[in-house]
Amino acid sequence: MMLSIKDLHASIDGKEILKGLNLDIKPGEVHAIMGPNGAGKSTLGYVLSGRDGYEADSGTAQFNGADLFDLEVEERAQAGLFLAFQYPVEIPGVSNMEFMKESVNAIREKRGDDPLSASEFLKKAKEACKQVDLPLAFLKRGVNEGFSGGEKKRNEIMQMILLEPNLCILDESDSGLDVDALQVVANGVNSQRDGKRSFIVVTHYQRLLDYIEPDYVHILADGKIVKSGDASLAKEVEKTGYAWLGAKAEEADA
Amino acid sequence: MSQWLADVIDRAGSVQDWLSPVRGEALATLQNQQWPGRRTEAWRYTSLHPFDALLAQPGSTSAQVDSREFAIEGLDSLDLVFVNGELQTDISSLSLPTGLSISALDEPTDNARSVAGQVFTQVKPERHLFGLVNDVLATSGVIIDIADGASIETPVRVINLVTDKVESHNRVLVRLGKQATATVIEHGSGDGASMNTAFAEYQLGYEARLEHYRFALHSADAIHIGGSHFQMGEKSRLNSTLVGYGSQLSRLDVDIHHAGEHAFAKFNNIYLLAENEHFDLHSTIEHAVPNGTTEENARGIVGDNAKAVFNGRIHIHPDAQKTLAELNNRNLLLSRRGQINTKPELEIYADDVQCAHGATVAEIDDEALYYMLSRGISRSQALVMLNFGFVQELIEQMPNKALRDWLQPKLKTRFEGMEVK
Repeated sequence: MMLSIKDLHASIDGKEILKGLNLDIKPGEVHAIMGPNGAGKSTLGYVLSGRDGYEADSGTAQFNGADLFDLEVEERAQAGLFLAFQYPVEIPGVSNMEFMKESVNAIREKRGDDPLSASEFLKKAKEACKQVDLPLAFLKRGVNEGFSGGEKKRNEIMQMILLEPNLCILDESDSGLDVDALQVVANGVNSQRDGKRSFIVVTHYQRLLDYIEPDYVHILADGKIVKSGDASLAKEVEKTGYAWLGAKAEEADA
Repeated sequence: MSQWLADVIDRAGSVQDWLSPVRGEALATLQNQQWPGRRTEAWRYTSLHPFDALLAQPGSTSAQVDSREFAIEGLDSLDLVFVNGELQTDISSLSLPTGLSISALDEPTDNARSVAGQVFTQVKPERHLFGLVNDVLATSGVIIDIADGASIETPVRVINLVTDKVESHNRVLVRLGKQATATVIEHGSGDGASMNTAFAEYQLGYEARLEHYRFALHSADAIHIGGSHFQMGEKSRLNSTLVGYGSQLSRLDVDIHHAGEHAFAKFNNIYLLAENEHFDLHSTIEHAVPNGTTEENARGIVGDNAKAVFNGRIHIHPDAQKTLAELNNRNLLLSRRGQINTKPELEIYADDVQCAHGATVAEIDDEALYYMLSRGISRSQALVMLNFGFVQELIEQMPNKALRDWLQPKLKTRFEGMEVK
C-alpha cells in the first residue's frame, strides 16, 4: 500500500473538518476526490503534507509503511509526498531555479543520490519547462513572482516532474485554467503516470477528469468519504451536482 | 562629560598640522558639546555605554596584517591600506592614471590642500560629537582628487583596519571635478575591541559620476562611528551602497546634499546583525534646490539579540520644487529578542514634489516557509533562502561584479550563522 488513511479526524481553529476519513491507495493508482466547497478537500492535502495548524486529532496515515504524522513537512516531501498547491506562494528574491535545485537536491540527498550539478540540473529544468510550456525565463524569475494563475499551476506541475515523487496530491490544479492550460497540466500529470507513482486528484469539477482518467472517484462531504466508485461516478456528479448530498455538505468552512 | 571625551579634548590640544585652523574651530564647538544621553534625539536608541569601559587606547601597534584578508578576487583596485591609522601604502609608488591625484592627509600636495579647503568639514556643516572628534583627531587619511573630465576606470579602495584595543581616527576627502567619473570603496574593518571613527566627504562637480561603496565590517566587540557625506553638484550622479555588520556599537551617518539641480542619487544600504550587535544608520537627504532625485533603499536582517536603528530623514527645502525622493526601509526580524527602531522623518516645504517613504518590520513569512518545506528543503536552508533573498535583491543592484561575487557568499555565510527564531 502506498497510502493508508484510517479514521482521520482533523480540526482547524477548533472546528472539526475531517470527521473520520478512510482511504487506501496502491502504487500506480489515480484517485479523484470530489466534493462541494467546504467538504474538507484542501484540508486533506494540508493535513497530509503537514501544514502548521492542520494537525490530525486522531486516526492514522501510513505512507509507504511509515507513520506520516510522525514526520516533519520536509521529511514527508523527502519521503516522496508532493502537494501541488491550489494557491502557490510567491517568493520574491528567491529564483525559481535556485528553489527547485535546492528541493531536488534535498530529496536526492535523502535517497542517497549525489546532488545534481548546476549544469545537470539546468538540463532537466529546461526539459521540464518545455513539458509544461513555460518559457525558460521563468526559471530566473522569483518563485511564482508575478506569474498568472495558469503559470503558477504549470510551475507546480514542473516541480512535480522534477521532484519525481511517489505520491502526488493535486489540490484543485484545474481551478482558474482555460482549456489549453488545463490540457498542459493534464499532459504533465499523465506523463508521470508510470504504474508506480500514485495520485490524489482533488477537484470540484469533473472537467479535469476528462483529461486525467482516475481509477477511483471518491465523494468527500462533511469530512467523510460518502461514496466511492470508478470514473463513471465523476460523470454522475457532473450531471447531478452535489445537491443529493443534502444541505449539510453545503456549509462553508476553511 | 565622559572621561574619554575629556581625554579627546586634551589630546586635540596637541595636534598641530596644516589643518589646525579648521580643527581649532571644531575643537571650540566640541568643547561646548554635551555627552549624548537618552534624551539626545539623535542618540535616543543608541547607547554610548560602551565608552564607559573602553578598552581601546590611542596609538599604533606593530600589528601584522595579512593583506590577503582584503583581497577581492577579480577586483583590480588601487588600494590605500591604513592599519591603526598608519598608511602602509607608498602612494608615490602607485602608478596613478592621468587625472587622478592621491595625497596622504599628513603629506598633502598643494593641490590636495586646496581640495581639502573645499571639502574638509564643508560637506556636512552640522556634525555630531563624533564627527567633531574626527575633525580634531583624524590626522590620518587621504585626499583624492579627480580632475575635470577624467574618467578613472580603476576603483580606488581605502582600506581602514583597526586592531584589537586600538583607537584610531581616519578621514577621506574626495573631490570629483566637472564631468569626472570614479569609483571609491571605503573598506573598513575593526578587529577585537577596536575603536574607530571614519568619516568621508565627497564633493561631486557638474555632471560628475561617483560609484561608491562603504563596507563597515567590524567585529562584535568593536566600536565604529563614521559617516559618508556627499555634496551633489548640478547633474551629478551618485550610486552608493553601504553594507554594515553590527558591533558592540556601530553608528553611521550618510548625508546626501543636493546642492545643484538635476542631480540623481541612489543609495542602497544592507545590514545584517547577529548576537548582541548594534547598528545605527542615520541617513539625511537634503534637497536644497529644484529637480533633484533620490532613491534610497535600506534593508536589514536582525537576528539573536541584535538591535537596529534606522533614521531616515528627507528634507525638501521651499525652493526644491520637482523633487523626486523615495526612501524605503524594510527590516526582517528573525528573533523575538531582536529589536528594530525605524523612524521616518519627512520635512517637505515645497508643494510640487513626489516623495514616498515606507518603513516595515516583518517576521518570517510562514506561508512561504511552508511552501519551501513542502518541497523537501530543510527548515534551516529554507530560512536562509527566504531571508537572504531579501537582501540579495540589493546585492544584485551593485554595479561592480567582483564586489557582488565577493559580498554575496560573505553575507550568506554570516547569515547562515545567525540563530533563527
